[in-house]
Amino acid sequence: MSAQQLAAPPPPVEGFWLGTRRSFQTMIRKNGFGLIALVLLALVILGPLYSVVLWAFAERWQYPSLIPQVFGLSFWERTFARADIAEALPFSIVLAATVTLISAVICLPASYAFARMKFRGRQLLLLSFLATNAFPRFGLYISIAVIFFRLNLIGTIPGVILIQLVNTLLLMIWIPTAAFQGVDRSLEEAALDVGASPLRVFVQITLPMVMPALSAALLLTFVNTFYEAQGALVVGLPRIVTMPVLMYSLINSQLIVQYGAIVSLVLWAPSLILLILAQRLLRGGYLTAGFGV
Amino acid sequence: MAILDLVRLDKHFGSVAAVSDVQFTVSDGEFMCILGPSGCGKSTLLRMIAGFETPTGGDIRIDGDSIVTLGANRRPTAMVFQKYTLWPHMKVFDNIGFGLQLRRLPRAEIKRKVEESLALVSLSGYEERYPAQLSGGQQQRVALARALVLEPKILLLDEPFSSLDAILRVRLREELHRIQRRLNITAIFVTHDQEEALTLADRIAVMSSGRIEQIAAPADIYANPASLFVADFIGAMNLLEGEASSQQVRLGAVALPTPGGVAARQVTVAIRPEDLVVLDGPHPEAWSCAVEQISDLGHYRRAVLEVPQLPPMKIYLPKSLSVQERAALHVYPRRYLIYENSGAPREVSRPLPAAATALLG
Repeated sequence: MSAQQLAAPPPPVEGFWLGTRRSFQTMIRKNGFGLIALVLLALVILGPLYSVVLWAFAERWQYPSLIPQVFGLSFWERTFARADIAEALPFSIVLAATVTLISAVICLPASYAFARMKFRGRQLLLLSFLATNAFPRFGLYISIAVIFFRLNLIGTIPGVILIQLVNTLLLMIWIPTAAFQGVDRSLEEAALDVGASPLRVFVQITLPMVMPALSAALLLTFVNTFYEAQGALVVGLPRIVTMPVLMYSLINSQLIVQYGAIVSLVLWAPSLILLILAQRLLRGGYLTAGFGV
Repeated sequence: MAILDLVRLDKHFGSVAAVSDVQFTVSDGEFMCILGPSGCGKSTLLRMIAGFETPTGGDIRIDGDSIVTLGANRRPTAMVFQKYTLWPHMKVFDNIGFGLQLRRLPRAEIKRKVEESLALVSLSGYEERYPAQLSGGQQQRVALARALVLEPKILLLDEPFSSLDAILRVRLREELHRIQRRLNITAIFVTHDQEEALTLADRIAVMSSGRIEQIAAPADIYANPASLFVADFIGAMNLLEGEASSQQVRLGAVALPTPGGVAARQVTVAIRPEDLVVLDGPHPEAWSCAVEQISDLGHYRRAVLEVPQLPPMKIYLPKSLSVQERAALHVYPRRYLIYENSGAPREVSRPLPAAATALLG
């Protein structure tokens, strides 16, 4: 090898690839574990999604092909032509909204009391809301269903509302309680000092300051309730059928996979919309200015 | 025209007396400071005047009318709090205008008044900012404007500058002083910072364990502290315990003459550092001592003296006086106060002894 050859700069293209390969290697060496975890995570999260989305738009998909042989929308028409789905979707939305509203009416004053009043057993009561989450849900529902059966609540809308309310308590008590506790007392005193009545202090000072947290609690409660299937299944059937319950039966008893896939996609929509809304809500307004974002 | 009367005011929290038997009058346009260590009840006292605490006993009167039964939102007082208490979701304009809106003032008048009060605290043009976009000092100025815009009869301030840095604290203190003088508003200022109290106040009320120890003008309090607590709390003071006889108080190896009539045997003698005169040589009535430590404080020096059998004594030395650490000094207490167990102290003020000359450097 002559000296001239040695002195010549490496061809740029090859050098570029060499550099990339080298940086990729160092990346693997440095973050090998992280990278593998990332790929696995993507597979686990996106894999089922990939399958569901493809199935929803597939006319024909036979093993061993990785993608459907024929794409099409005909199953969408057939899905929405089904009477049970046309009925369950609006019903589920109204039901979730109703449960959220009732939960708010019960829990918000309670959380204000938890945050602002000192009473005996306060800590214990606050912890007791964890109870519904501490045990296997299904067992809880079955035992509640036994009681509901005696009270003739099985298969009724009030019964379903009641059992879904149980699920909302933890979120609707804990998040607003923390939010109310976060409002400095002296901010309320300052408002009182300039002449505001206690009610006005609450409406114009306290409430706006806890609003982001309250909205988050309301949205989460709505979404959780909308997807709640176990309670609605145990207490609601056979007369009350919500979307998640319907999805269960479609997936379990139908030979046509597309129905289940399409209903799954439809069920994603509300949570997606609400999450986007929540982001707007939490980012907008004074919070943005407040944190100098 | 606003006079505040506190009549035998008491506040108990359970069995703890936070404020007991407080009674004083703040006259129109007066700047009264309530000074005391933390936990002495000064904030509780202020919160009772504002209406955030209900007194257990006694009365609060403004211009002769009792306000004890009125809620905080109906009292003609306005408060500036210790912490930044601007409402974070409102702009500066709405923070200041909130009280005016509650009073249903016309929009144009609210705008005019908010602008005026912002100008008063030198923050014109900050209407559209949110509190989080202001510095700590600016936030407290807005809080002051929020209180002043309502034209309260009594302005209450609860250690408003304590969370600011030293330089800002002094600047805002001067600004507050200027504003209070200009508006001639009756003000009560609670603080644990004696320098703040001494520079701002027309009169200072010194509080300790819920009680008023002394109420007087700053110079008066400094010159004649009514109790040992005040003597110790306000300014630098040398406190020496001694045994009194008919003629003199014996302090370890040295003694000081008494004016007579001192009944107690155990007394405490209080000497301000500036009342210790350095003589040019030994003298029978001077105390011989060694200079323990010298701290240079810019325009003067502070020294700690070691007098045999006495606790270390503070003294101020002019810069021109060339004294080194470990040097011997002869000091002469020119003025001192003798405190018995209770009651007013006895003041002794005496001339330099004949044939002695003070060293002035």
